[in-house]
Amino acid sequence: MLLALLLCYGGFTALCLSMDRHHAELLGRKQSARRRQLIKLAGWLLLASSLWAAVASTGWGLGLVQWCAVLMLSALLLVLLLPYRPRLALSLAGVSLLVSPVALFVQS
Amino acid sequence: MKEGFRQAMAWLHTWAGLIFGWLLFAIFLTGTLAYFKDEISHWMQPEIPARSVTSEASLTVAQHYLQQHAAGASRWLIDLPDAREPGLSVRWQQTPTKRGERGQFTEKLLDPQTGAEVQGRETTGGEFFYRFHFQLQMPYPWGRWLSTIAAMVMFVALISGIITHKKIFKDFFTFRPRKGQRSWLDGHNAVGVLVLPFHLMITYSSLVIFMSMVMPASILASYNGDVRAFFDDVFPQSATPELSGKPATLAPMAPLLDRAREQWSGGNVGRLTVNNPGDANASVVLVRDSADRVVHDFGSAVTFNGVTGQLLGSTPAQSLPRAIAGSFYGLHMGRFADPVLRWLYFICGLAGTAMIGTGLVIWLGKRQLKHVKSGVMPFELRLVEVLNIASMSGLMIAVAAFFWANRVLPVAMAGRADWEVNSFFIVWGLSVLHAMFRRGRAAWVEQLALAALLFGAVPLLNAVTTPYHLGMTLARGDWAMAGFDLTCLGSGVFFAWAAWKMQRAGQVETVARQRVQPIGLEQEAR
Amino acid sequence: MKVLPVSYRLTVTSRVLAAVLGGYVVAALASVSLSLWVPMARADAVVTGMMTSFLAYLGVVIWCFACRTAWRAWLGVIVPSLVLAALSGLAYWMGRS
Repeated sequence: MLLALLLCYGGFTALCLSMDRHHAELLGRKQSARRRQLIKLAGWLLLASSLWAAVASTGWGLGLVQWCAVLMLSALLLVLLLPYRPRLALSLAGVSLLVSPVALFVQS
Repeated sequence: MKEGFRQAMAWLHTWAGLIFGWLLFAIFLTGTLAYFKDEISHWMQPEIPARSVTSEASLTVAQHYLQQHAAGASRWLIDLPDAREPGLSVRWQQTPTKRGERGQFTEKLLDPQTGAEVQGRETTGGEFFYRFHFQLQMPYPWGRWLSTIAAMVMFVALISGIITHKKIFKDFFTFRPRKGQRSWLDGHNAVGVLVLPFHLMITYSSLVIFMSMVMPASILASYNGDVRAFFDDVFPQSATPELSGKPATLAPMAPLLDRAREQWSGGNVGRLTVNNPGDANASVVLVRDSADRVVHDFGSAVTFNGVTGQLLGSTPAQSLPRAIAGSFYGLHMGRFADPVLRWLYFICGLAGTAMIGTGLVIWLGKRQLKHVKSGVMPFELRLVEVLNIASMSGLMIAVAAFFWANRVLPVAMAGRADWEVNSFFIVWGLSVLHAMFRRGRAAWVEQLALAALLFGAVPLLNAVTTPYHLGMTLARGDWAMAGFDLTCLGSGVFFAWAAWKMQRAGQVETVARQRVQPIGLEQEAR
Repeated sequence: MKVLPVSYRLTVTSRVLAAVLGGYVVAALASVSLSLWVPMARADAVVTGMMTSFLAYLGVVIWCFACRTAWRAWLGVIVPSLVLAALSGLAYWMGRS
């Protein structure tokens, strides 16, 4: 479940950043339309890969359940962190993505 | 209602949410606690040891015990211990005197290692919360009807809420604290939308679980009123072979476990039923452990002849509709969940509880604003305020009282299990009275502070009344006991913080109100 | 707090009754029709009918509060009930003959 969680959290952070309102709040500057689209795509890809990560390790039944749980938990964590510790929220996403290859190695 | 679809749904959401909100809060909170009912029971009966023994070993112990104490019974039931329920439970049923009647049941809890009877202090344990959340302490079947009606209202509230929430995608990551009513609404939306898959699943599955009871029309129509036939179709437990009258020794049952596992390609046995032990036609029915998979298979059983070991039958694979119903059941119960996933279930349940709670607070908060200046609330709003306080902080105090009663009431006291439950309701009732006689904010602060005190002191209470204190349980690796103590401590801290925030908000309010007057006088003076 | 006119209270009550009672009737009839018409084994058809009935209930409840008048709410209950009852009756009669 760890790999799925890391990818999910990273994915949601990316989707959050792809919204102009949050991007301005968190990173202070405006982004071009192209950047926005890129980050959005990255976000969705990360979420999709987290689904793969969950199902690959425990099969479809339990995997889907774990993915939904991880989806909800990571979204909650991000939304609760954002207003209080925005820098922590962002750096956690960065760390998650960096650590995910390790988690992938451990899982397989 | 003429204003438009979204406004109509907002109206529906607001009123459905209010009328059933207090009941739904209680259902969600106790249901969430029920995910840890085995751990709660373990804390409430610390005398019962948690031992890890193989299924074969405990089955042999059970068979030996039943052979000695219940040889003449018509049926034995053996519940094997698993990771969360360490007890080996045996029950036996005497042959009923009249046909068609249920025989008398006797139940004993055994130590799976020694076979000795285990006696923990009499308590309902975590089962209390589990049963309360769908039976509501009401006589059968009224509680179930009410909780299922509440579930349907919850479903309506969820869907109408989704329709009403115009910016559901735009505001997906939006949470703006420290902005008063705005923050409460953001919070309500956050715990609602972000955990929506869980809320929809838990609500719809609770309807499916009791659907035969609340929506029997199709059963009656398709089976011409023969409800029995429907249940026989859905729960295809093989028929019990007739009593032959010839005595025969029951073969050891432990080897049957492996044979059942073969039938299920892995998996574990949860329960065994032995029909007519000691007879030549004795049959042993092995039912699969529901913790095995996500999709609950209602009828999954393998039957053997108890004397010869011959395979008598096994239930066929589930059809798709029944697998779907089983999925709803399995997902709702969450029995398949390992500790990590179980904690996630718990967090999602708390989110649902918080969603309902914040909704109730918002409902009152919006309307209270109109009456701030006069300081006097109309009766309807005061009623909502009292019910809000009693159903939320009052309920939390009642839960704490339940745990305190378990440790404070003497172990040997007769009827102590009932008195633990009574303590829960008595304290809840007192919280209603308290909320009636104190002003709103004061009532909140005092009740939250009391909850903080009661929950925070649980580890201390445990250390003083039993030898299983936190230091010992952590060292021993008894995570259920230690986890319970630590969670109570954490809850205490949370309630203390909530009480403090409530009190501060009240002080800010009074200061703001005092500031209004001087400005007014100044203007008059000009 | 302003006093709400009696006519308003009556319309709300009417809609609530249509939603709660009428919704149940429509849901029950929907479950019966579905279980009699769907080509599955009897037990499976009944299970499917019951599981989906709550969606019908939801639909009726939403209609009863979204439609423009309380009369329309009842129309939205009575018409589907008649149609579903007819469908069920047809299936039942076909099954017996």
